[in-house]
Amino acid sequence: MKHALYLACRSLLWHRGRSLTVVISVAVTIWLPTTVHVLLSLFRSEITSRSDATPLIVGARGSRMDLVLHALYFKGAPRVETTMADAQPVTAASLGVPIPLHIRYRTQPREGIDGAPIVGTSPEYFEFRKLDVQSGELPSLLGDCVVGARVATAMHLRTGDALFSAPRNAFDLAGEYPLKMKVTGILAAAHSPDDDAVFTDIRTAWIIDGIGHGHQELNSQTDAALLMNSSDTQTMTANAGVLPYTEVTPENIDSFHFHGEPNTFPLTAMIVVPADEKSRVRILGQFSSSDRPTQCLKPSEVVNELLSIVFRIEQLVWVCSIATGCATLLLLILVLVLSMRLRAEEMRTMFLLGCSRFTIVQLMGAEILLTVLAATVLAAAASWLTVTLAAERLGQLLFW
Amino acid sequence: MISISKLQFTYRDSPFSLQIPELNLAGGQSAVIVGPSGSGKTTLLHLMAGILSATGGEIIVGDTSIHKLNDVDRRLFRLLNIGLVFQDFQLIDYLNVLENVLLPCRLNPSISLTEDLRARAIALLTSAGIQSLQNRSVTRLSQGERQRVAICRALLLSPKLVLADEPTGNLDPATTQRIVQLLLQETSRSNASLVMVTHDHSLLPSFDRVIPFEPFVYGTHSAQSPSGVDS
Repeated sequence: MKHALYLACRSLLWHRGRSLTVVISVAVTIWLPTTVHVLLSLFRSEITSRSDATPLIVGARGSRMDLVLHALYFKGAPRVETTMADAQPVTAASLGVPIPLHIRYRTQPREGIDGAPIVGTSPEYFEFRKLDVQSGELPSLLGDCVVGARVATAMHLRTGDALFSAPRNAFDLAGEYPLKMKVTGILAAAHSPDDDAVFTDIRTAWIIDGIGHGHQELNSQTDAALLMNSSDTQTMTANAGVLPYTEVTPENIDSFHFHGEPNTFPLTAMIVVPADEKSRVRILGQFSSSDRPTQCLKPSEVVNELLSIVFRIEQLVWVCSIATGCATLLLLILVLVLSMRLRAEEMRTMFLLGCSRFTIVQLMGAEILLTVLAATVLAAAASWLTVTLAAERLGQLLFW
Repeated sequence: MISISKLQFTYRDSPFSLQIPELNLAGGQSAVIVGPSGSGKTTLLHLMAGILSATGGEIIVGDTSIHKLNDVDRRLFRLLNIGLVFQDFQLIDYLNVLENVLLPCRLNPSISLTEDLRARAIALLTSAGIQSLQNRSVTRLSQGERQRVAICRALLLSPKLVLADEPTGNLDPATTQRIVQLLLQETSRSNASLVMVTHDHSLLPSFDRVIPFEPFVYGTHSAQSPSGVDS
């Protein structure tokens, strides 16, 4: 076999154009289904692990899929919001811990990198997701934020830098102002969507949303032009001339305040961590009534529905790949037959010299073996490269 | 040496028949077969090489009756004991000169490609005057050079018998003389018998024996018995 492999190798190198074409054709036929399978397996494993690690999600009624993807991957936003008050069934009976999520805004682009989603949440989120701070510390004051590892790398952010929120509507002059946030820490890489987000305290998110604000102190010395009504010395109403602060500083932090009851402030979703299995069942029961404006979802259940669609896509890819594989196989047989015809004289020479039919079969077999081996190596390298480059972007390719 | 007695051969579905009552050639002797196309010269070479099986009679190369060997043994015997040279050289394009000479070693697992064989190949190339071309692709050689490579390949395993089928058919007269001299010189040196087919009558004096073949006449079923004629 050693000699057959040597002769086959020399023959393949001599007919390098033909060999390369065949190798690439076979490699593509192997690469496509393999890569799709590996990528979908990775995707399945990634999305399953995150959904399995998230016990319950509460949010306004609407698309179950959208709500779960929003709470897990910070993508999109439900049209109808929820509030902490909606978690009352959970908190009242101490069935679990609700973790608020407010994800409506993104940071402004920085150094040519698109803005990252700003996730307003409570400190429990970091504990729940087991997120560690690589440098700096978690947000402790209004206006503080920590950034995910990939955002920090992409935007070249370090502790002490500043990030601006991006208003959703440039024409809402009375509502959303860009808030300058102070980066107090960088999160260690978690290899999850948390790496692509910026986290602030929920109250900072509400300030970005225009629900809370800080502005100059209004008193008897305030310019009358900034007041709507200055006749009553006890109550002063400012007009739009009083601009809110766009940065929280030690000097103005005390002026920040919210108008209303925080329990009624908007949230886009809540992660609920039940105290135990029994509590989990009770929470699900509490939200099962269709009269309630909110729904409580088991993310793993919703994700499995999603994966069934992915599985169908995978099956479709397999069918296409099998068809392509059959076509390639037929072409390979054609190439082999034509090649044998072209090389009939060479085979005849070997036969006349005393070569056995078995050796000639070995020679042809060695050529096929080397071709398939080279194609497999090429396909494996291409698959590895594709998986390495595309794995992180797969979620985006599939959903958003 | 080669010894043929009462050899008979007919192709299936063909009126052609070949009969050779007796033909003996000692080691180191050379014979040339001449005759018109279709008279059975190449058929005889193929019978001597064991490529075709005789319908009767016997061919003994050395001490072995080659038609008593089974297919596998006959191929190995041919590889080890019979050197073949063809009119169109039959070199393998994707191998260089040295690799073409060493090709017989790669065609049967029972033959090892030893350093001794490698040295013999280089010695044969040197003797043929093409040692400097050993790493060159055979596609970049002249016709004469290619035929010399083919002769070196035929002589590599020191065969008892060398069969050359019109080896000079594509060569100019000067190259023809050099090739024939190389064949005669190398077979004589290794004490091998040489049987060569040619249409070139100017070469006949160089050989120990001339074996003329008569033209085959269709419809007569006549046996063409070449007569051994000493030159």
